[in-house]
Amino acid sequence: MSVTDALGIDASWLRESTDDLGQGLAVIAGVAFWGWLLTRWLYDWTLGRWGIGPGAGENFLSSAPFERIADALEGSVAALGPIRIPVGWLGSLADGAALAIDIAPALATGAWYTIVLTAVSIAIGFCIAVPVAVLRVYGGPFRWLALSYTELIRGTPLLAQLFVLYYGLPLAVWLNDVDVVGRGFVPEYAFWIAIIGFTINGSAYQAEYIRGALESVDEGQLTAARAVGLSKIEGIRHVVLPQTLRYAIPAWTNELVYLIKYSSLAGFITVPELYYRASRIASSTFEYTPIFTLLALVYLGLVLSATNLMTHVERRVAVPGIGQVEGRQQGTGD
Amino acid sequence: MSDNRTETTERTDRERSADSSASATETDPLLRIEDVWKSYGDEEVLRGIDLEVDRGDVEVLVGPSGSGKSTMLRCINRLTEVDSGHIYLDDLDVTAADTNPDAVRQQIGMVFQDINLFAHLTARKNVTLGLRKVRGFSKEQARQRADSELERVGLADQADSYPAQLSGGQKQRVGIARALAMDPEVMLFDEPTSALDPELSNEVLEVMQGLVAEGMTMVVVTHEMRFARGGASRITFLAEGEIVERGPPEQLFENPTHERTAQFFESIRHD
Repeated sequence: MSVTDALGIDASWLRESTDDLGQGLAVIAGVAFWGWLLTRWLYDWTLGRWGIGPGAGENFLSSAPFERIADALEGSVAALGPIRIPVGWLGSLADGAALAIDIAPALATGAWYTIVLTAVSIAIGFCIAVPVAVLRVYGGPFRWLALSYTELIRGTPLLAQLFVLYYGLPLAVWLNDVDVVGRGFVPEYAFWIAIIGFTINGSAYQAEYIRGALESVDEGQLTAARAVGLSKIEGIRHVVLPQTLRYAIPAWTNELVYLIKYSSLAGFITVPELYYRASRIASSTFEYTPIFTLLALVYLGLVLSATNLMTHVERRVAVPGIGQVEGRQQGTGD
Repeated sequence: MSDNRTETTERTDRERSADSSASATETDPLLRIEDVWKSYGDEEVLRGIDLEVDRGDVEVLVGPSGSGKSTMLRCINRLTEVDSGHIYLDDLDVTAADTNPDAVRQQIGMVFQDINLFAHLTARKNVTLGLRKVRGFSKEQARQRADSELERVGLADQADSYPAQLSGGQKQRVGIARALAMDPEVMLFDEPTSALDPELSNEVLEVMQGLVAEGMTMVVVTHEMRFARGGASRITFLAEGEIVERGPPEQLFENPTHERTAQFFESIRHD
């Protein structure tokens, strides 16, 4: 007899209500996370620049009250005897909250860079990956071109690629000659070099995922397309790829998640993204553990948002009989 | 081996001349296959095939598996390239190097054993894709055409279903509608019912019978002897890449000239 039976609770009701609760909490967390980021960005770009409110990059809230609570709790710990441990924890929590308030503006700005780096690189990388994967599978004598590209890029460390682009090539010189780079809203050249690096690197990985999906589409599909009179390219474009990309979504999401986190390597070439900002603050305050814990939470928020988004995309484009959400949405029209 | 081949070639020559003299008065060949050879590696799949299919005729190709029937079909719309020989559709040399295979395929409809409906598209869109991309129909024109073709195969009510939501027989009927929509000169059927349960085969065979009645020129590879008997203008029996015997259904079923043919039809009857 299970616990729920013993307590006379309907198990399915319990399960549904905990599901609802979980979903509710996830929505609240998501709204809070994105609400914070969007408010911060918008404020920093507009009101903050115009001198209204605390100013761009300055805290909205004061951390002082939390610091006072933390100090008070920690000061009284010694006298508390048996309840000193939970009170100590509360003190650390208040301390963490104060720190979070202090570094939140820097994290939000860093998150903006991280998001733009990831989104732009994955999007351009995708546009490169599709033809590379098609060449790899259908390229005949030119397959080796696609093969060498993916193997060369996948076989070398991303950080090494970034260093070669940043220090080794005269990209910085060229980019510095472009007037708009580093002015106003346009980031410094290091940012553009990071985009190039992540685009190339991501395109190779994406090409591999797409190649796998291409190969899982039945050969007869292209034959049938050709029998109708479509050329090979048209058949690939209109018949094979639409199926391929649906199959590729789960693996592709993986690459997106990796890239969100790998984008921290841009910090090594001075792009002021999340990791860069957090590590700068940490090395000046020596509060490594709480700062990197907060940093990890922001990455977690970004990754969960990305996977959530991709789950929605996957459902939205689902077609009965194709991919992993088979049958969830029967007869959706087009 | 080579002796054997000469013999067969002579034999088919003789038969061909017999055929042409019999129907010399009203021959109107739409599809002419002349001395087609094809091998995969060391394996000769087609060994000098000669065949003429008149406009409006239904040619049924039968033979044991591996006899080259499907390869023959795929050569006709150049899904497979011949090694030597020629195939003509009307005056067009299909096999010529400067003939665009895409243009040939627009005039030749094909229905596959494994159906191969475009898995990500609804029944209607399976039909409209070729109309839109190849024929340049407008969205509305293509839609109307697709709906009337689906009605022709009795599936007007399934236009919005995806292949995964259709039965095997329904899928194959969509496959036929997809090919018919392109308004082909000739339809090729590559074992259209052999992937289907017997009860599902019937609905496909009925649609094919309807096409026969409409006077569509068809080349059909099938093991469905009921269709061969009822629908074929001629039956061609292939074995080991050669035409062993060709003639009207009654002749091949009742009085085959060759022992090999008799054995084959005997074995089919016992299936």
